Amino acid sequence: MTSTSLPVTAQAAPPDVAAVPAAAEKPARSRRQTLVVVVGLLAAIAVPALTFPAFWLFLAAQVAAYAIATLGLNVLYGRTGQLSLAQATFMGAGAYTGYVLGSQGQAPLVQLLAVVAVSLVVGAVVAVPTLRLSGLRLALVTLAVGELFAWVLVHTSPLTGGSQGANVEPLVIGPLDASVPLFAYLLGLLPALLATALVLHLDRTQLGRRMLLVRDSELAARATGVPIIQTKIVSFLLASVFAGIAGWLYGGINGFVSPPDFNLFASVYLLVAVVIGGARSVLGAWVGAAYIVVLPQVFTALGIPNLYALVGGALLALVALLAPDGLVGLARSAVGRRRRTA
Amino acid sequence: MTTAPGISIRDLTVAYGAFRAIEELTVEVPAGRIVGVVGPNGAGKTTLLNAITGFTHVSGGSIHLDEVAVQDWTVRRRVAAGVVRGFQTVRLMERESVMTNVLVGLERTRQPFVLAQLFGLPSQPRSRRRDLDAANAVITRLGLADVVHQRVDALPFASRRLVEVARVLVSRPSVVLLDEPAAGLDQAGRHELAAVLTQVHAEDGCTMVVVEHDVDLVQRLCQHALALDSGHLISEGPPADVFATPEVQVAYFGRSLDAQA
Repeated sequence: MTSTSLPVTAQAAPPDVAAVPAAAEKPARSRRQTLVVVVGLLAAIAVPALTFPAFWLFLAAQVAAYAIATLGLNVLYGRTGQLSLAQATFMGAGAYTGYVLGSQGQAPLVQLLAVVAVSLVVGAVVAVPTLRLSGLRLALVTLAVGELFAWVLVHTSPLTGGSQGANVEPLVIGPLDASVPLFAYLLGLLPALLATALVLHLDRTQLGRRMLLVRDSELAARATGVPIIQTKIVSFLLASVFAGIAGWLYGGINGFVSPPDFNLFASVYLLVAVVIGGARSVLGAWVGAAYIVVLPQVFTALGIPNLYALVGGALLALVALLAPDGLVGLARSAVGRRRRTA
Repeated sequence: MTTAPGISIRDLTVAYGAFRAIEELTVEVPAGRIVGVVGPNGAGKTTLLNAITGFTHVSGGSIHLDEVAVQDWTVRRRVAAGVVRGFQTVRLMERESVMTNVLVGLERTRQPFVLAQLFGLPSQPRSRRRDLDAANAVITRLGLADVVHQRVDALPFASRRLVEVARVLVSRPSVVLLDEPAAGLDQAGRHELAAVLTQVHAEDGCTMVVVEHDVDLVQRLCQHALALDSGHLISEGPPADVFATPEVQVAYFGRSLDAQA
């Protein structure tokens, strides 16, 4: 694009076969756009670290931890279209695995490996029987898994603290001690950035496209030769591993875990958050995580904690009716309109 | 050049309960030709296409690609062997870009293992470049280059139809099956589609089966036509001859044509 002031459409250039642009997955970003993204990202990371008081820095750490769980749901629901009400359960499995091993003095690396292993098992257990289900029936099965998990927790109280919950040792990895707010923030943020990069990378892979086609038309997926069952299983496993790691980090940062953190309501809130943010959007997953962690605190600070559920419901209804691509999609199309008219 | 197989249908019966959508049909689709399948609604055209692609069970008889019997193969195995279809109703990823919708059609070409894809192992960039080039080539060929990065739900119907055709063609299948690709297109769109398909066929040398209502399009596009009625073959041969046979005229046009003629 040159800076000519002539209206571009008035005299279309003759089609030039040699000038076919190199194939690219997405339109090329201008240098300015790249700069805006990089500066914005750095600011979003640095501002909390440098300016937030301790309490809010802890909240930011939790947002990052939750973002890993919402990114998992972005993969499972937003991309693959599988409605799961077990995401908080997967978080709980990770959180309690970390807690039990941590209380026995196991190193973080051992905890992490165990969290991943447990998540893979739990994810597979949920995924395999649900492969022939979809939509609401799938949601019901995942819901039952959540109830089962709550039952297990209450009936293994010597190990898990039962319904009273349990105090988790702060996570310490190398010099990063989660009892220090700044380090807690980094402990949440670094894995969350890795998870973000992984999900963004999906857009560049056939695996990511398989998921989208399974979501939008299983018939077309069959006709294209997509391994539908394998794709669903991979999605479930990614979602459960993401959630498990998120739960593990949440426990180690928050210092306390209890069954209500991981019950049906928690799962519903995760799903609502992802839909509100924009189920297929990576940025939407972050918006959703912030929504889950920050909004209840805001309402509590205002002395009206019950409003959270109410606002959540209203917001969900509004988004579902007016913005099928979530808040991020809404913002994007607004920016797009302004660009076109400018 | 790909050596496109011919398709032999032998005594094929597809029954749904007592209803026989196709009954003891024996017909040859010659290798490397564009074959039109015509007939009134309920003639068994789509059922035939479903049987060839594995989307419906076969109650009796056999389907051969050259001499290989494929009637018991899964859909995926047939796709891998190069048998790729489109749908009567456009089935796209509506909120994704044209590029994404076409790229996904490369599934049947060799793709890296899931873990290699997920973690971006070294094999990835090369296969990615190859895939992008293949997609870009077919997108340009179908005249979609200007909208390559647009979401398909923002496109007019004719373009979305072309996106689906692009998804079918991108992997250069040896057998292409299209189910009423011109449905919903206007005259100009149909002519354009016929031109594009003719060109693709000339370059790729595939065997192409096109289920189509539109007489003009079949005559324009197809070198051979099969006329079905109530699950039976009633005529085959050059499209002009097929449309001229009295049985086809009665089955296809009713009696109104006699009045006009």
